[in-house]
Amino acid sequence: MATPLLSFHKDILEQIHDPSTSDLLILARGLGLRRLICTLMKIYDSPRNLVLLVNATPEEETAIGEELGIIGCRKPGLRVVGYEMGKRDRQDLYKKGGLISVTSRILVVDMLQSDIPAELITGIIVLHAERVTALSLEAFIVRLYREKNTTGFLKAFSDQPEYITSGMSPLKNIMKELQLRTVHIYPRFHQSIKDTLENRKADVVELYQRLTEPMEAIHHAIVQCMTTTLSELKRSHTSLDLDDLTVESAYFKAFDAVVRRQLDPVWHKVGPKTKQLVNDLATLRRLLTYLLTYDALAFHEYLETLVASNTISVTGAARQNQSPWMLTDAANIIFQAAQRRCYTLSRKAADRPSAVIDLVNDEDAWDALDDMEGHIRRLTAKSPKSWIPNGMDPVLEELPKWDLLADVLQEIEGEIMRQESLSSYSRGSNTVLVMTSSARSSALVSDFLSEMDSDAPKGKRGRKMMEKKLRRYLYWKGGLARQKRDGKNQGPPEFSEPRASASNTPGSSTGLSEALMKKDKERAVRTANRRRIRGGAPSSSAPSKPKEGLRPELIVLDDCEEITTFLASQSASSLNDLSVPDGDFDILKGILASQLDPDFDTRYGLLAPQQTVVVRAYSDDSDDQVLAEIQPKFIVMLEPSLEFVRRIEVYRNSNPGLGVRVYFMVYQLSCEEHKYLAGLRREKESFERLIKERGSMLLPIYEDKSLGSKAGEQIIKTISSRLAGGRKELSTQISQVIVDMREFRSTLPSMLHASGVLVIPATLTVGDYVLTPDICVERKSIPDLISSFNSGRLYTQCELMSVHYKQPILLIEFEENKSFSLETVSETTKTYAKPSTKYPAKKSGTSAESERAPPSIQSKLVLLTLHFPRVRIIWSSSPYATTDVFKDLKINNSEPDPTRAIAIGAEEDPEAGAGVNAAAEELLRCLPGVTAKNSKYVMSKVGSVRQLCELSREEVQGILGVEPGNLCWDFMHRGERKRTR
Amino acid sequence: LVIQPGAGNNIIVNTNQRLNPVLECIRNIGKEFGDIVPDFQVGRTTCILFLSLRYHRLHPEYIHTRIEKLGRSYNLRILLIMCDVTEHQELIRELTKVCLINNLTVIVAWSNDEAGQYIATFKQFEHKPPDLIKERVDKDYDSLLRTALTSINKVNKTDVETLRTSLGSFADIAKASSDVLQTLPGFGQVKVKRIKDAFERPFRNKA
Repeated sequence: MATPLLSFHKDILEQIHDPSTSDLLILARGLGLRRLICTLMKIYDSPRNLVLLVNATPEEETAIGEELGIIGCRKPGLRVVGYEMGKRDRQDLYKKGGLISVTSRILVVDMLQSDIPAELITGIIVLHAERVTALSLEAFIVRLYREKNTTGFLKAFSDQPEYITSGMSPLKNIMKELQLRTVHIYPRFHQSIKDTLENRKADVVELYQRLTEPMEAIHHAIVQCMTTTLSELKRSHTSLDLDDLTVESAYFKAFDAVVRRQLDPVWHKVGPKTKQLVNDLATLRRLLTYLLTYDALAFHEYLETLVASNTISVTGAARQNQSPWMLTDAANIIFQAAQRRCYTLSRKAADRPSAVIDLVNDEDAWDALDDMEGHIRRLTAKSPKSWIPNGMDPVLEELPKWDLLADVLQEIEGEIMRQESLSSYSRGSNTVLVMTSSARSSALVSDFLSEMDSDAPKGKRGRKMMEKKLRRYLYWKGGLARQKRDGKNQGPPEFSEPRASASNTPGSSTGLSEALMKKDKERAVRTANRRRIRGGAPSSSAPSKPKEGLRPELIVLDDCEEITTFLASQSASSLNDLSVPDGDFDILKGILASQLDPDFDTRYGLLAPQQTVVVRAYSDDSDDQVLAEIQPKFIVMLEPSLEFVRRIEVYRNSNPGLGVRVYFMVYQLSCEEHKYLAGLRREKESFERLIKERGSMLLPIYEDKSLGSKAGEQIIKTISSRLAGGRKELSTQISQVIVDMREFRSTLPSMLHASGVLVIPATLTVGDYVLTPDICVERKSIPDLISSFNSGRLYTQCELMSVHYKQPILLIEFEENKSFSLETVSETTKTYAKPSTKYPAKKSGTSAESERAPPSIQSKLVLLTLHFPRVRIIWSSSPYATTDVFKDLKINNSEPDPTRAIAIGAEEDPEAGAGVNAAAEELLRCLPGVTAKNSKYVMSKVGSVRQLCELSREEVQGILGVEPGNLCWDFMHRGERKRTR
Repeated sequence: LVIQPGAGNNIIVNTNQRLNPVLECIRNIGKEFGDIVPDFQVGRTTCILFLSLRYHRLHPEYIHTRIEKLGRSYNLRILLIMCDVTEHQELIRELTKVCLINNLTVIVAWSNDEAGQYIATFKQFEHKPPDLIKERVDKDYDSLLRTALTSINKVNKTDVETLRTSLGSFADIAKASSDVLQTLPGFGQVKVKRIKDAFERPFRNKA
């Protein structure tokens, strides 16, 4: 059902709908940008028009397609061009016209190859305009488009004003790249929006919930860790302007970008310690949000994983650079309090581990704790469950918002009854919409609601669910411990007895509808399924034993052992409760496959709209659609969200006569509250800046490029040809470079084109760029260079280039605005703290030493040149510099031949020229037994990595050869339980 | 003093480099002065010309005469550029071209230490097999798994640990459905999608 447009929507459309103008629209988030775009597209929809949608994510493509369908734009609606679509199909599609969404990379290639009639494009709609920069593909697309087509329109949209704030004149840069002259800015405080939205206001109840004591302690400790990490960072970079980095700003994701921008010019010089600090800040921020949204057990589990992955390095040895925050007292509080929220170990058990490790005089802490938690424990002590290990007292603290939610739902129920008793007809459904921040927390909340015991005292209502989770957790822990025990016992006991499907106790007292219960049943089955998979933790793998020391995780490992012993001593029958028999496995998979979008189908399709609770996570503009479909009168916002508040405003105003009540929950004095308020402020400030910039903006006048620049070039060419001794035939041809398709992910092709070189896309087997018939270039950015040295790919690539070209070149490209140097020597010394390792390979007899220190990138480069004396190296400080060098190299040389370049080396690859899934290729190459040489063959034999995993040992050997095949198969299946035998 | 070129284990240094501060930084290897055409001879067939960009800016003709004198001798000819100016882009571009025409390979260093390290390494690696930069085979399971999974964008080492402990083997991870992945701590929609893309989308589309 399409809701009517509000008056400010109409205003905006009025301004931008004209197909003869090009505009940029910046709208505040949550005010229905998608609906505007869809309406606009509907206006343009006609087989005689060719309108392209650029820069949409796959999710947005589907959502826009759906919404277009809803507002009556169905035949044929929006069609999507992905990499799976063949070249010929694409050409046909473009010819037929209509609305088409294309991936930028594909569109660039199609425009370059003239597969798309650029002059016939009616217009282009660019989403996420905030991400357009001089180097982005979208800017390249616009340039190509404007070269051939000056009459078509270009409409760009953005609802992220916060992005457009960095640099000198960010708005102007975007407009310059998109070649636009008009911009419309609509913040929430725009007069017409204010007028519209403040007509009718929703009835908002704000609920401020306090954190529980342990949560508060953890919260406090995390913030403390962030402060320490931040000051550490500042201390190590006194020269940088890091003063404006505060803990408050560190709550936001954008913070990472700010830090990186500050550190980028020296990023290659900063030691691993600094990098670690920057990463730590992100981890800590994540912990903050997880603290507020994950249940106590999941949070604890995440912490444990974090600790486990942080203590060993890539090579498996104890790590040199541990995250400093993990060693602080505050971290200790985090780890202990997190465990305390889950369970405590009673005196008898607690004594033993404390004899082994002395954590910071924890006896006192335990005493204090026991006093604090005493009342809870007395409650739990009454009914010990058989599966809980001796000495473990589950605490299972629940998130305080759950209780609040339960109360709110009760109140709503009463309210609905009251309204019904009044029997006055009112619009809207009685469905209660509960919004959460992530899919995960929404799953958690619906779990809670379905198993809630409303008679239980506060803080105990979700006991049943938490106990289930604890059980699963113990099982996971068992797996973890088994793994740590060096594979002493070979695998866990076999489970073969079938067992009744997961215990789905009907929570009839909660008053939830049947369909919802059915769904919960499915979810329970799914949980059980997950449990089953968790059981398959590797048993024979031998990770390094944790080192003895003052590490907080030791307590973790110790009770790990205990739990495992307990599990082993349990009878087989109780263990079976924890797993699902193999037979059911496939059936379960089937169920899972059939409910790809369970929320949507089961809820909107089958339910009678009676007193149901729908739990959803915030997403993007598709939330508007949800509101329009459900028409809820009661909305619970479990976590604050700026956008959703506005969506409710819009919803409220598009449905006059509908009384909406909103419950808005925030944890008091938490980062959540702060984040919400600061987010509001940030958005407002960025809008103010944009408006200011628009006021003072000087826009360049765009000359007619197709005419002016060509004439200019012609003149230069004539001159240069005379200088070259009258070789006129050269100047008549535009200089061209053949570029590998994969390279269109980088910025260089766009830069080359901007400098007037004809870019010819092709799928190359050897090299990335072919400049002349003799010169072939392999481009490596610094991270690329390091990784391809490590994987040995560069060696093979140089080998191939040397075979096929006279002049093979390795281009080492640094990033613009980043430091133009490799890691410095001094850093190598700092890292390994051994003067001798500065010079990786010592003369003789010190081979052991040189093995310890990983060889530097410089020495690898030396080795490469020694083995490929013909390979030349271009050192380029930025793509701009590369462009100049390329042009230099092309002077007085003949042009490369695309057909020949494609054919070179392609005989090994039967599918050259097809689309490529780079991520999958990369993953495949990392497998042992797969080399750069045989990877092509593997790809021709199996479709995907997953298919490779499903092959038997013999089949893998058939593809890779006996020895590598063995290696590869063992790698893929290591740590699996032998369920076939 | 005439020395058999490339015979010993020492780097042979042209006497005109006597005052070059880089000499101090060539450590852990013997050096001797000798009558050679290039600045350093670091192997039977390998030689190095040294050029500081600051010097090059003052005497742009210098390097050309040196290259000319070098003629066609030596198999691997290195031009070691010391990048000690801020406006390096133009200079390096021009030198790159000169080197390409004259069959020289450019190496850029940013400090005396780094330059010294390059020179020493060239000599030390004279007879070293390329195993170091070839594909490695002898790696332990954990680091292999880590490299493989972190090759997927957005997956970090904590996630690898999570995947391994909760799902098991590589093949199990490949089989895990999006729903299962989504429930793991630290896994959001984007990450799950990247993982699924890498594991399940076909390598090639049949265009």
